[in-house]
Amino acid sequence: MVAVATTAEPIAARGEMPRLWRGVVLALAGLYFLVPLGAAFWFTAYNRVTGFSLAPYAELWSAEGFWSSLLLSLGLAAATIALVLLLMLPAMITVRLAAPRLRPVLEIICTLPLVIPPIAFVAGYSRSVALAQDLVAPTPFWATLTAMRSTTFPAVLVFAYVILVLPFVYRSLDAGLRTMDLRTMVEAARNLGASWPHVMFRVIIPNLRSALASAAFLSLALVLGEYTMASIMGYRPFAVWIVSISGSKGQLSVAVSVLSLLLTWLLLLLVSRGTNRGRQA
Amino acid sequence: MKRSLGAWPLLLFTALAFGAPAVVMVTGAFDRGTETLALTMQGGYLLALLNSVKLSAVVAVLGAVLGTVLAQAIVTSPWKPLREGVLTASGVLANFGGVPLAFFWVATLGNSGLVSGLLGLPSGALYSFWGLALVYLYFSVPLMVLVIAPALDGLKPQWREAALNNGATAWHYWRYVGLPVLAPGLLGGVVLLFGSAFAAYATAAAMGAGTVLPLITLKIAAALSGDVQTGFENVGLALSLDMVLVAALVMAVYLPLQRRSTKWLQ
Amino acid sequence: MAARLEFRALRRTFGKTVALDGFDLTVEPGELVALLGPSGCGKTTALRCVAGFERPDSGAVLLDGKDITGVPANKRDAGMVFQAYSLFPNLSALDNVAFGLRVRKVAAAVRRAKAQELLELVGLATHADRFPHQLSGGQQQRVALARALALEPRVLLLDEPLSALDAKVRVGLREEIRRLQLDLGITTIFVTHDQEEALSVADRVAVLRDGRLEQCGAPAEVYDRPATPFVAEFVGTMNHLPGRVSGDRVTVLGQLLPLDGTAPGAEVDVLVRPEAVQVSPAEDGRAEIVAASFRGASVRLRVALEGGEVLADVPGHEAVRLAPGTRVSVRLVERPVLVSARRAETPVPVSPAEDPASVV
Repeated sequence: MVAVATTAEPIAARGEMPRLWRGVVLALAGLYFLVPLGAAFWFTAYNRVTGFSLAPYAELWSAEGFWSSLLLSLGLAAATIALVLLLMLPAMITVRLAAPRLRPVLEIICTLPLVIPPIAFVAGYSRSVALAQDLVAPTPFWATLTAMRSTTFPAVLVFAYVILVLPFVYRSLDAGLRTMDLRTMVEAARNLGASWPHVMFRVIIPNLRSALASAAFLSLALVLGEYTMASIMGYRPFAVWIVSISGSKGQLSVAVSVLSLLLTWLLLLLVSRGTNRGRQA
Repeated sequence: MKRSLGAWPLLLFTALAFGAPAVVMVTGAFDRGTETLALTMQGGYLLALLNSVKLSAVVAVLGAVLGTVLAQAIVTSPWKPLREGVLTASGVLANFGGVPLAFFWVATLGNSGLVSGLLGLPSGALYSFWGLALVYLYFSVPLMVLVIAPALDGLKPQWREAALNNGATAWHYWRYVGLPVLAPGLLGGVVLLFGSAFAAYATAAAMGAGTVLPLITLKIAAALSGDVQTGFENVGLALSLDMVLVAALVMAVYLPLQRRSTKWLQ
Repeated sequence: MAARLEFRALRRTFGKTVALDGFDLTVEPGELVALLGPSGCGKTTALRCVAGFERPDSGAVLLDGKDITGVPANKRDAGMVFQAYSLFPNLSALDNVAFGLRVRKVAAAVRRAKAQELLELVGLATHADRFPHQLSGGQQQRVALARALALEPRVLLLDEPLSALDAKVRVGLREEIRRLQLDLGITTIFVTHDQEEALSVADRVAVLRDGRLEQCGAPAEVYDRPATPFVAEFVGTMNHLPGRVSGDRVTVLGQLLPLDGTAPGAEVDVLVRPEAVQVSPAEDGRAEIVAASFRGASVRLRVALEGGEVLADVPGHEAVRLAPGTRVSVRLVERPVLVSARRAETPVPVSPAEDPASVV
């Protein structure tokens, strides 16, 4: 069935739209999405004083705070991805294989972050962290907690970000696990004598490559663009830095926005391309 | 108990990272009994809440319709790079949107924006209800595309063919089979879009829309930075609780729909 | 109601793949023709051309003499049953069957009654309110069949309807389909890759290969008198035994048998079905049983003799006498045999097998 579908596109295949319709829709969508992008680019490249110049793009690399905030965001993203996968993979596999009754619980946990607005979450979260700091004041944990709140690498943000990315990771991994017959694969591997770590790393994960990649990159995109929690809690990762300079250096901030958006898109494209090729191989 | 061992790290983590803020939020909101909550239901705060709900509802419905139409155009296109490109771009806009979004639209339709000059728009056009809705669609439509594209893919070609085989036109197919099967996914998408628009803060903040169009997220940020009536320091937490309740209501509709949707598409 | 269907010189290519390469076939009114062939032979494509889901690059499909090649799929009078995912998941069995009638704006009561009637015909009257996910694979296909018949089409198209089902369900359902088809007298095309299926239900079997028709004839004819080597190999199993032609006879295994057809030379391969090979225990026999595969009603023996091996089918109750290692004598049934050009093949060494490996 699959072989037929790829070579033959039957006349009345999927919900078919006459070509005209499709062209109109895509044209209008293109207009809506690309015009603001173009306007923003124009804003960065042209002003009445200097005329057309790409100076802001050159300037941004040496701008104060650019590298520190960017690296901070990337670091936070890496930590978030690592932690969330470490927590989610065993959980989702366990639920699928051994504890299907926990599935509703898992679903609720992973849709909750979508329910709780980040601003509401940060209200409670920042207060909790502050309270925790007071609570552990007399104990040696006080130093740990202070370290976790440091502006050079706020680990407290990582924990919050893990919560924020849960829905995306859950959906990605769930889609990936659904397409593979997990039970059969694991049983076959165990039947052949594989230990659990072996099963995890040699059987499950290679088959989840595209799901893992999509989970990782959605998380990366989210963390890079995250503004709400970071700004309320007083940290300065990338997005916060961009807004902070928007007043004084408008063209620069918009230039960075344009670049970061395009680069993230390219990154996600590469991942998607890479995983597609892997699937064909 | 042992069977679910692999899930315990996650469960413990969320219990702590979620549970603690939740407890803090509730206790903080009720520290003066119900007075703080009552305050959130008056005057400026109430207006902000209603604005947020209205805006989110409009954006959710519009975004769902437009997103589905766009998704269908992409999914049925024979040009694979288009699908890939748009889906990844949707991923970026749906989540990364926030700050860049605001800047793009200010540059386009803002007071000294490129297009607003060309169209001769009055000053402040962007900072109105519909201006903000237009901006919010920039991340809502992509979100809908992401949500509904898999569901559209799940519509088996055999169903379409079987419908044709029974004399149906495209309209018949969508009316009796296509849309009913998609319905749970569509409604789920509307709900998701509502939640996302309702929770939006970064875009509005970066645009500086707070003064013109009060939104509850902006009010919370103000409250958290100390801009509150004396004695009502926890109004930020109370407002947050309000938001959570609204969102929870909406979620109670979403989950059963999601379950229905997956059942039919499998 | 019974219509004549004709495929005329159908040609269809998908990029580099040629699905149909000049396909010609006429299906008589009321006939059930099975389109049989390996994957990629074009049988499904041909079927979909009748349904209107494929438009051939050239050639025509004629229904009762009228060219329907350009008619849109939803205006054709051909009911189709798909291999999988046939039913609309959001509608009950009854509503699925009544779908076509609903599109035609038939009154609710009337169409429900008709749908119920059809469900009774396929034996699922009590399942009218069940949804597809509550039905087994076989039940779903029966509902799909009822739905295909709802609009009283002139042609019934079955695209490997049983391929996704369990073996036992498959056999039962194919007999039901055949019974129904005979009762209704509806012209039917049944696509399958399972030759047993094709042979058991069809009035005629059309064997396809690489988009062309190899042979079309009654099951017995296709089985006993395959027109080409491909058909001989594809339908059933064939033994290839070396033989020498003299005149209108051929010498094989020491027997002189009449030739069926013409010989392409003096040295030929004689094509013999396993059931035409008679095996009897003989102490001085020149052959020896290498392996035996028990199949219930029959046993397939692999017998080694000088010059190679031969497969023989014997009744199950003789299996006791014919265990591996037994010396036997081999005789062919006295009837005309088919021959084909000698294949350049090294004979399988004549040696008893250590383990009774089953024969393919």
